[in-house]
Amino acid sequence: MTNGLNWRMNLKSDLSDSELLRSMLAGDEEALALLYRRRQGGIFRFALQMSGSKTIAEDVTQEVFLFLMREGHVFDPARGSVSAFLMGVARNHVLRRLRVEHLLAPLGDDSDDDAPFLHPSSDLCPLDDLTRAETIESVRKAVLSLPSKYREVVVLCELQDISYGETAEILGCAIGTVRSRLHRARALLLEKLRPVAAVEETGSATVRCFA
Amino acid sequence: MNCQRFENVVSELARGQMLAAEQRGEALAHSETCEKCAARLRDEEMLTRGLQSLAAEMETLGAPAAVESKLLEAFRTRHVVTPIASRRSNASYWAAAIAAMLLIAISVVVFRWSNSADEPREVVKQTEPQATPENKVPENKPAEQFTAGVQEHEDLLPQRVKPKRVRNSGVRPASAQLANHVNNEIATDFIPLSYMSAASLQEGGQIVRVQLPRSALANFGLPVNMDRYNERVKADVLFGVDGRAQAIRFVQ
Repeated sequence: MTNGLNWRMNLKSDLSDSELLRSMLAGDEEALALLYRRRQGGIFRFALQMSGSKTIAEDVTQEVFLFLMREGHVFDPARGSVSAFLMGVARNHVLRRLRVEHLLAPLGDDSDDDAPFLHPSSDLCPLDDLTRAETIESVRKAVLSLPSKYREVVVLCELQDISYGETAEILGCAIGTVRSRLHRARALLLEKLRPVAAVEETGSATVRCFA
Repeated sequence: MNCQRFENVVSELARGQMLAAEQRGEALAHSETCEKCAARLRDEEMLTRGLQSLAAEMETLGAPAAVESKLLEAFRTRHVVTPIASRRSNASYWAAAIAAMLLIAISVVVFRWSNSADEPREVVKQTEPQATPENKVPENKPAEQFTAGVQEHEDLLPQRVKPKRVRNSGVRPASAQLANHVNNEIATDFIPLSYMSAASLQEGGQIVRVQLPRSALANFGLPVNMDRYNERVKADVLFGVDGRAQAIRFVQ
């Protein structure tokens, strides 16, 4: 039984997302399973990186595909890819969930005690002094502490490695907006990852030179 | 390249997404000559590595298998329940249609039965009041006073060109029909006045014979013989129980 199912799914594995969606809407369970296995990881990770909560990520992943079952016919191939459509739905669910749970307040804020994980700019790479796990944890917290409009571009462009164009489709904005938000988000991340002592010494969180 | 332009491209440079080789070369050359920009580039590269590490760490994460099971179960339920639901809805449509047909049949039977039961009562109710002397128009009163009520509502008539004929036999009093046969009078059907519905004519009332100027015919859309324009025409005005003129018919 399972072998038969896998064999049929292998036959459909070459189908595009759009074709799978069409089959799914026509009642093909295998198409749903294939589409889910193909796209659930990105959606789950996006929700997890946006919320920092596995529970929310699981709920959002489930909600996205339940939405696809109910309202999948609203997908318009002319407006973008299925993956962008799914990510856009996921984004809406995440933001709604965060609003409900009042998680939009920055976790670290400017006076965050966990912030000074990185050394100020020097000849040595600041991350060299940290273990890999600590580095990852500090970056994760810094990302979570960003305002949502900056967090989502970091998650999509940096962590999900999605192109500017597709990110713009997901967010419903111009590519230039994505670029500028990402630039600003990276500056904010650097500020958050810089030690407090260094900020006090320099008197500014942003290191710039205009020679 | 100056520091301002370097600042604009440093993120792209650190992410390895420099647009053009020439621009990349210029930016790198600037970072070699400017310490601050070199430090800025190192920070950006450090951040890029940190983000890449986080992405790599989470790359294998995904939703638990239970989510897929729930979704597939929901999908099966959705696609199994739908046909059952549609069958049920078809059955309910048939039941509603049969019930509606039965209701219509019962209504028709009841309506016919009630009509046959009401006919004798109408005859009794609409007894000929014309024969009583008190209902006759006094000789000294001009007929116009009876038409005044008619004329003051004539502008409310929906169509003045064609008189609205009451086809329901119940509208015409049985006594009036009898009078026509006896006196060999020819009369139009009762024309309801504008504020009256045909249904209200069935409530009965009193009929008063009056004389009107022949021009009154034109008010009800009836043809007027201009040769006899100055002559008067007979008419029966049906007054309701409330004393208001309900309908009028012209008699020859």
